Amino acid sequence: MIPAIEIRNLHKSYEDTIALRGIDLTIRPGEFYGLLGPNGAGKTTTIGIITGLVRLEEGSVSVFGKDIIRDYRFTRSKIGLSPQEFTSDWFFPIDKLLIFQAGYYGIPKKEAQPRVEELLERFGLTEKRGTKMRQLSGGMKRRFQIAKALVNDPDILILDEPTAGVDVQLRHMLWDFLRELHQQGKTILLTTHYIEEAELLCERVSIINDGSIVSEGTPQELIRSLGKGMIEVALSGWDGSLEAKMSSFDFVYEPETDGGRLIFSVDNPERELTNIIATLSSNECHIHEVKINKASLEDVFVATTGRGIND
Amino acid sequence: MINWIGFRTLVLREVTRFFSVYRQTVIPGLISSGLYIIIFGLTLQRRITAIDGVPYTVYILPGLIMMNVITNAYNNTASSMLQMKLLQQIQDMLITPLSNVELALAFIIGGAVRGFVNGILVLFLGIFLVGMPVENPFSAIFIIFMVSWAFSSIGLVIGIMAETWDNIATMVNFFITPLIFLGGVFYSIDMLPGFWRTISLANPIYYLINGLRQSVLGVGDTPFSTSLIASVFMTLLFSSIGIFLFHRGYRIKS
Repeated sequence: MIPAIEIRNLHKSYEDTIALRGIDLTIRPGEFYGLLGPNGAGKTTTIGIITGLVRLEEGSVSVFGKDIIRDYRFTRSKIGLSPQEFTSDWFFPIDKLLIFQAGYYGIPKKEAQPRVEELLERFGLTEKRGTKMRQLSGGMKRRFQIAKALVNDPDILILDEPTAGVDVQLRHMLWDFLRELHQQGKTILLTTHYIEEAELLCERVSIINDGSIVSEGTPQELIRSLGKGMIEVALSGWDGSLEAKMSSFDFVYEPETDGGRLIFSVDNPERELTNIIATLSSNECHIHEVKINKASLEDVFVATTGRGIND
Repeated sequence: MINWIGFRTLVLREVTRFFSVYRQTVIPGLISSGLYIIIFGLTLQRRITAIDGVPYTVYILPGLIMMNVITNAYNNTASSMLQMKLLQQIQDMLITPLSNVELALAFIIGGAVRGFVNGILVLFLGIFLVGMPVENPFSAIFIIFMVSWAFSSIGLVIGIMAETWDNIATMVNFFITPLIFLGGVFYSIDMLPGFWRTISLANPIYYLINGLRQSVLGVGDTPFSTSLIASVFMTLLFSSIGIFLFHRGYRIKS
């Protein structure tokens, strides 16, 4: 299968900093892919190179098998980009800007018009169609930005921090919309600061740190690779003789005034939970409370980059 | 393969952009030219009767036309390009299947149209206000067009290189305006002392103004062919530099 985006050995440096130190990335057609990383990790540079905003220095990028430099007309026509920073215009109302944007992609006005109407409607901007960009609220600007990225009906949609600074309601609307696009078969590349977002939407993610990819896989694979989750059981009726019966588990017992607390370290908390409960119940322990702590993508992030995403 | 629709769209955007603010981009040139004609022409005409047998008010008109053409063409591309960079709007174009040549030429044509429109309007103003004759309309239109293109491409180069509005204004205040005024808008260089006359010959704008003066009035300090060569040379040179800068992504791509 020809990858939607294939990045090989991508290097990039700015005057005094190295932005990318040899990135390799393969995104399959129809995949929902997440690029996670702290600020300055190289996410926006990578996206910039794919879309032609940043000069390619070393390495190669192909889109549906075609080189982004040699076949730029083909590759750019396949991609829609919603950049992190708003791109603004002081002169024209937003409906006109969408028609222009379609035009730059070689789509005649007649053909673009119905699509523009549909996008304005879909993003709740029909009433604001005669408004200039700077008169829109932040949320509306974000919606417009994404509508603009879709005006050429791209096979690949690249979204750089699409939900940064938007309210919860809009975030959920955008998530629904992205899921819908994904179901329609669009390839989506997303960068985000909200790890929850990547965990929720992306089929595969890469964690990028200091210009290198430090881990890649499905969110579940990454979480599993980190290993341990935790189950905490508050109970009464525990006695030392039960320790032998529970020896297949990795746990510690902490006595408390009214009973005690067992803390299990497990690979898969959901699977192990029934075994633990069954063993304890059959040995006449009285369970008061159970808490499960699953490892999250955030833990993976901290473990692989050595810092939180907002640090 | 050329992205004709994309190219036409960007040209249309650039032209619509300046027309949408015609009070800033079209009317001022007409007003200032009208004022020059009335104040400079009608007051000085009493003292300077004629140059090369042409009444002074009429003599200065080709220079006024060129002044408008040059400043409007330059300002259009320079400010459009800088604004696009500052608002990050240039990204909307860079991600599309428009080639560097298409991008550069579309911007240049936008500015050239503004310069041309302004030039032709001042030409008509001259015809209506002081009955300026137009000896050779075709060469007049041609040289107005070439100079529009040349200075629009200079505007593009400066707009790409500029990082602040100050950079753009500096070029106008310290280079373009002095060169226009010293290029013989208000006088024939025969009226200058020898040293300054020699200096004037190094001023490219001098040849452009004289080219138009030759085509409109049939008089001028230099032959039309010299002006033609100067304008074509500037057009080719600066258009090529503009395309090259787009190609390199200089101050456009990181």
